[in-house]
Amino acid sequence: MRPTAEELNVVEPLKSSLSQVLRRVRPLEVDQEHRLPEGLLAELGELGVFGLTLPTSHGGAGLSAVAACTVVAHVAAVDRSVATTLGLHLGLGTRGLVAFGSKSQHERWLPGLAEGRTIAAFATTESEAGSDVAAVKTTASVDGAGLKLSGTKVYVTNARLAKVLTLTAATPGLGGAKKGLSLLILDPATQGVSLGAEERKLGLRGSSTCTITLDDVSLGADAVVGEPGQGARQLEHVLSWGRLLLSAGCVGTTRVSLRTALAHVKLRKQFGKPLFGQEVVQRQLHAAAAGLFGMEAIVTRAARAEGDFAALARLTTASKVFCSERAWELCDLSLQLHGGAGFIEDTGVALPLRDARVTRIFEGANDVLATHAGLSELMTPLPQSPHAAMAELEAALAERRTALSTAYGVRAFNRRAALHALGRAAILRDVAAAATSLASSPGELDAAAQLRAQALAAVRLPLSDEVPLPFLERFLEEVLS
Amino acid sequence: MTQASLTEVNGRIVAMIAQCASGVRAQDIKPTHRLREDLGLDSVGSMELLSMLAEELDLDVPVEEAAQVSTVEATLALAHRYLAQKQA
Repeated sequence: MRPTAEELNVVEPLKSSLSQVLRRVRPLEVDQEHRLPEGLLAELGELGVFGLTLPTSHGGAGLSAVAACTVVAHVAAVDRSVATTLGLHLGLGTRGLVAFGSKSQHERWLPGLAEGRTIAAFATTESEAGSDVAAVKTTASVDGAGLKLSGTKVYVTNARLAKVLTLTAATPGLGGAKKGLSLLILDPATQGVSLGAEERKLGLRGSSTCTITLDDVSLGADAVVGEPGQGARQLEHVLSWGRLLLSAGCVGTTRVSLRTALAHVKLRKQFGKPLFGQEVVQRQLHAAAAGLFGMEAIVTRAARAEGDFAALARLTTASKVFCSERAWELCDLSLQLHGGAGFIEDTGVALPLRDARVTRIFEGANDVLATHAGLSELMTPLPQSPHAAMAELEAALAERRTALSTAYGVRAFNRRAALHALGRAAILRDVAAAATSLASSPGELDAAAQLRAQALAAVRLPLSDEVPLPFLERFLEEVLS
Repeated sequence: MTQASLTEVNGRIVAMIAQCASGVRAQDIKPTHRLREDLGLDSVGSMELLSMLAEELDLDVPVEEAAQVSTVEATLALAHRYLAQKQA
């Protein structure tokens, strides 16, 4: 991330204090014991990190999203479970309350959240409502002057730690909406709220993930965050923050993973010279460094859009997809460059890869987000970049967009494969544009050129023909039998 | 278009809306309902609905025009306008 000099004045001393506190974190132990070190969250709370993005009026630090991303990336470079716990609190956990909460809700909840005395969780996913948030079945019905809430939320991060829970629920009739969705805030200790067992996961094992069951939970009308029935719009904003901080975590994980890989290839000799002397390895690391620069660039650009909800939603979609996929590829590259040692858990090389895997799934599965990016690109194309270097790429993308729109009109919105391909190209365009704007050193300029070339290749990728379903079913039966 | 075919087309459109807005019965849908706030369709769901409608009724609706539609009433009006154009 690229904080300004002013942001650095706050972030650098904080990073240094964080390094002191995080020194006792042993990622492999966290992974094996499925929990964070005792007392760690309290120590982090004393540093004020849980209030980084919360308003100063209620005890927070009121820092910018770029500053928060820088801190989350720093923590993720040490341990991704700690970073996930913190990032969830700063993003999904508190953003709905900060952006849409009333004065009295702020007064009630924010001071504890800023100090880290209370940790926040956010619950939207259900067994039948993952990326399809409109399918939420958890319902809050009007009950006298208050609400009765029932439903089940799954994969709730921070569930066991949380003392404040924000969730989405269908609120039919509330606020005049026939089938509205609303954000609700509650204390998980409320009668009728129960936690399931901790999930056993591939990675992020030190972070808490549980099912939360809501059984006829009585809530006051003041549990509704913001305007009733506006939950879909609010959720988009909350998810934007979640995706942003998730992306920042990916930057931290990837940076440390590549650092480890670089140190290894400089030491490890094969065929009479260090691996770093091999041309193939050099090329892989050259591309990897460009990928990491692209990650930093898109996170920085997205974070700078924090005041513009629409731009934030669009750019955090791009940053989430790009960063989670590059994190996976580059942590995998690190493992590959470590050879057999990378496969041994005790070396710690595999852990970032396992931790990174879920980021392609949560906060919106990447292929769903890519399709959404295609929809956005079709509905509201971005204005042209001021950088001449972006002209060829933008012209090619515009041509593709126009071809799709001309061929199908509104029916293009049901051409999912075409939208997905358009979205993926648009995401790479966003990353290339961010990198082109940010690049100044020769290495960065080279990285930006690599990213533009990748985006151009994606834009020009021909769409494969539709696969007829009966053919696919028969073929799958053949090869899977 | 006759009154009978008008009613039939409206019925088909409302049924499509109900299908996209899961949990809402066709008979409960009113012209004034907003696709997003009242029927729970997000921006993607709204465009999917209009796309499905264009497929079903074989209409060539430009993206820019579809993006302006936000209520059941506007959906019906858009469909009828393009049906009339097709028949002209």
